[in-house]
Amino acid sequence: MRWGMVIDLKRCIACYGCQLSCKAENGTPPGVFFARLLKHEEGQFPTVRQLFLPVLCNHCEEPPCVEVCPTGASFKTEDGIVDIDPDMCVGCRSCMMACPYGNRYFNDKPQHYFPDGPTPYEERRTARHQTDVVMKCNFCRDRLAVGKEPACVANCPAVARYFGDLDDPNSEVSRLIKDRGGFPLHPELGTKPSVYYLPA
Amino acid sequence: MTDLSDVSSRGVRDDKWIPTSCALCYGSCSILAHRVDDVVVKIEGNPDSAIGKGRLCGKGVSGIMTHYDPNRLTVPLRRTNPKKGLDEDPRWEEIGWEEALDEIAAQLRRIREDDPRKLIVQRTTTVTASRVPMLTFTAAFGTPNLSMAGGGLHCGNGAHLLSGLMHASWSIVPDFEHCNYAIYFGASKGHGAGHASGSNMKLAADARARGMKMVVVDPMCNFAAAKATEWVPLRVGTDGALALAMCHVMVRELGVYDAPYLQAKTNAPYLIGPDKRYVRDAATGKPTVWDLKAGAARPFGDVDAADMALDGEYDVGGVCARPAFALLREHLAKHTPEWGEKITTVPAANIRRLAREFVQEARIGSTIVVDGVTLPYRPVAAIAFRGSQGHMNSVYNFFAIDLLNQLVGAADVVGACLGFNPASNGYPGTGRLAYMPYPDDDGLMIAGTWMGYHKPYPVAEPRLPQKPGLQDFFVMGLNSPYLDSDDREALWDKFELPYRPEAMLNFGANLLMSIGNRESVARGLAEYKFMVSIDLFETETTRFADIVLPDCGHLQTLDSRSNYPFIFSLPGGMGEWCWPIRQPVLPPEGQQRRFQDVLLELSDRLGIRADMNAAYNAAMNLEGPYRLQGDHRYSYEEICDAELKCNFGPERGLEWFKEHGVLKWPKKPEEVYWRPFADVRVPIYWEFLVPVFEKMDAIGAPRGIKLPPEYYEPLPDFLPCLSHCCQKPGFDFYAFYYRDVLHTNSFTLENPWLDEAAQLDPFSYTIAINATTGRKNGLTDGARIWVENEKGRKVAGRVHLTEAIHPEGLGVAACAGHWGDGMPIAKGKGVFFNELLELDWDHSSPINLNLDLCAKVRVTLAEENAK
Repeated sequence: MRWGMVIDLKRCIACYGCQLSCKAENGTPPGVFFARLLKHEEGQFPTVRQLFLPVLCNHCEEPPCVEVCPTGASFKTEDGIVDIDPDMCVGCRSCMMACPYGNRYFNDKPQHYFPDGPTPYEERRTARHQTDVVMKCNFCRDRLAVGKEPACVANCPAVARYFGDLDDPNSEVSRLIKDRGGFPLHPELGTKPSVYYLPA
Repeated sequence: MTDLSDVSSRGVRDDKWIPTSCALCYGSCSILAHRVDDVVVKIEGNPDSAIGKGRLCGKGVSGIMTHYDPNRLTVPLRRTNPKKGLDEDPRWEEIGWEEALDEIAAQLRRIREDDPRKLIVQRTTTVTASRVPMLTFTAAFGTPNLSMAGGGLHCGNGAHLLSGLMHASWSIVPDFEHCNYAIYFGASKGHGAGHASGSNMKLAADARARGMKMVVVDPMCNFAAAKATEWVPLRVGTDGALALAMCHVMVRELGVYDAPYLQAKTNAPYLIGPDKRYVRDAATGKPTVWDLKAGAARPFGDVDAADMALDGEYDVGGVCARPAFALLREHLAKHTPEWGEKITTVPAANIRRLAREFVQEARIGSTIVVDGVTLPYRPVAAIAFRGSQGHMNSVYNFFAIDLLNQLVGAADVVGACLGFNPASNGYPGTGRLAYMPYPDDDGLMIAGTWMGYHKPYPVAEPRLPQKPGLQDFFVMGLNSPYLDSDDREALWDKFELPYRPEAMLNFGANLLMSIGNRESVARGLAEYKFMVSIDLFETETTRFADIVLPDCGHLQTLDSRSNYPFIFSLPGGMGEWCWPIRQPVLPPEGQQRRFQDVLLELSDRLGIRADMNAAYNAAMNLEGPYRLQGDHRYSYEEICDAELKCNFGPERGLEWFKEHGVLKWPKKPEEVYWRPFADVRVPIYWEFLVPVFEKMDAIGAPRGIKLPPEYYEPLPDFLPCLSHCCQKPGFDFYAFYYRDVLHTNSFTLENPWLDEAAQLDPFSYTIAINATTGRKNGLTDGARIWVENEKGRKVAGRVHLTEAIHPEGLGVAACAGHWGDGMPIAKGKGVFFNELLELDWDHSSPINLNLDLCAKVRVTLAEENAK
């Protein structure tokens, strides 16, 4: 069993639904995006292409972030999810240096979106995040535990995200990767990401 | 880290997912609000609804932060500074509701006794469900003046007129499920904005995955163009010229068009005399066609469609008569691709190829079976919206684009250009909500249902205006710039308007930002003797009010019809009819009150409750036992309950809907693809414009109002915008704005999650200029620049150099650039494009009142870059 995600770049329209539904689900502080959207332009007028790339933790099969963690706070679950135990994290940020994708964040101090103080929502959601620790996407483990897909997958209005077991060759994600030439980001780094992309 | 931890170990009393409706844009998707112990901790899409189907855009999920914004208004306020102006502090004092309502009622009573027309009621388009309560109050009060501020002037005076006239709906969309070739002109449906925006994102992605070819004609390559198979960049505002050149190729070079469709479903065969009018049958008064079998002119209803001549010249009782289609064919002669290239910059060879592809993919003459019903199959669609119609030439631009559909019969059949749900057999349980397009005496289509103002057809009789917006004179218009224009007083004088606006009741519209340059709008606003603003925030506009009332937000309010009518934002195509409601998830904060309750309370204080009840009966079409009686003081809950029970039966009232959130039932192919089943024709030749112009001219000319007749010709042409005629040296760019996926009008700029995302986006808050052109002008990416129009109005912002924009274009996203302190997150973010728009007669469409939304501008480096 190895959870993985497939993002169909043909379907993605860069609506930011993933980035914002992730924020709503996880109550991440300002500047922290477990899921985010990158935009890039290629070519010259008029043969120009706009490329949209939604990114998140790749939940690598061989995660360099876990390797370098001095306390064992960063760990990989049996089903392939890379997560952080905030109680064990000492905030040394070695993992952030080790992650070649830049998908880890340091929560240095309590933050909220309005200068006036945290909203009732943030008191519930954002205040749960410990400070002085590193934080990141964990494929919404707690949603998975109750049979729901990660928030960014369940919400994507263009239905561009798929989630499933990469170890099962018959799963939707495995079939999509095989049939449509799915690829991970920077395979040359040898981290074996569990997030794949389908060509636009 | 999840909902589970929220409910553990805290002694939870309450943990519910409540079905209701979003209101972050007019799409009004169905949502589930997760409330845990009186706090909303999550908003998700409601998978039980056809509106959004359980998925939301970034704005929808961010609604939480709009709700909990500490800058929301929570108490009624009264102005103590009698002066009103952009730099005037209102010097608010907090007052109680009794005092506020007493004062408002006293002012409104005075106005109503004097002349009720002096009240202007205005509402935002963002909250779709505000239409009925605002409309009923307006009607009960007795004023004809209900305005949508920038709505219409910007988004739809052309789009809704044309969609209504040609497709019996508010707007148009490709039949995503079956379309194989869509060509978009300045539209983004399915890519982040527009009607049914959430639902259309999935439908468009499905179509893309299926292989639908998408061509996007747009000065900028973002949103729809970024996902297109082909981007066709063109000079801003010249979409109509491209469409006309494509029509030229189809009709005159390829000679391919759907003759049986044109004969049976349009006025193409109607005979036209030298006076540009129908040649009518002497006995019946009906328009005639040339019966090829009989060799005679006969009323259209007496002739088999296949026998109607589309070409030729006939002697009808001594009058030289030609079918409308023959006139169109002749009219298109000048619109060669080479002519089109000069105007649009699109190479003539590309125009020919696009036209050829469009007719080839149309599969003229083919049929397909859908759910057991054999239907015409035309899997192509030409779609237009905000971009192409936001110009002086709004009407003809959209008309020319829709001609592409009409010429190949791709109108409301399988795979084609669809109106949003123009025909409904009604809710099966009661038969209510049934409507169908139907013909007038000339056989032309009248929309089965509509919202607001008059139906787009038949056209009303122009008269000496009784409305300060002059829409009763400009009968092809919808919303009007003349409530706020610089020359409004002069126009009212010329038109002998018998009264002047004195008071404004505003619901949520921020017209200082949404119409045009703020100085012009501010001048108009300051002249109101009394203004009430019901709002969520102290917007720039609300700062001009005398009394401000704190409204409830979308998580606190109730609406029995959050997404009705179906022609507005229910997804088109097959699927389900769906009726959702909005219900309170959280109580008001402080002294917030629902505007619907406030209007009922005001009607009681004004003694117009009986009129209010009658207006609700009319607006909701309440029947039988559900009609509101006399001047009984119904609560808004009771009114909503009556509407729901009236539509869906006594067992499906408000309580049922509060539990279930939505009611849905399947659409039938005969409803979605209604065109073959309705005996209606649409006008490819707008004969009715001839008498409209004559009547308008008869009223206007003696009063010194000169209308340009070229805007009222029955066949569309390319008429340039003022910006196309600008010869001023240094003014090299056509500035335009577009809808950003992250923002709705000026409203969501205050949402900190959306603002944060927009700050990181390369385009949301910047000024896009072509990289090569920009460098030639000495610009570097990120430099701060001034953008100045011919009149010297200017705005500043950071330039983003990009390859993804036409070399002559200058693109700005959203309605940004707030300056007021009442929305501090929004303040100073992005660029206030509308400052570049002049508000006067010269910059308004002389036929449908659409504002000219492109401005020729000069770009200069801001002073700080010189350091």
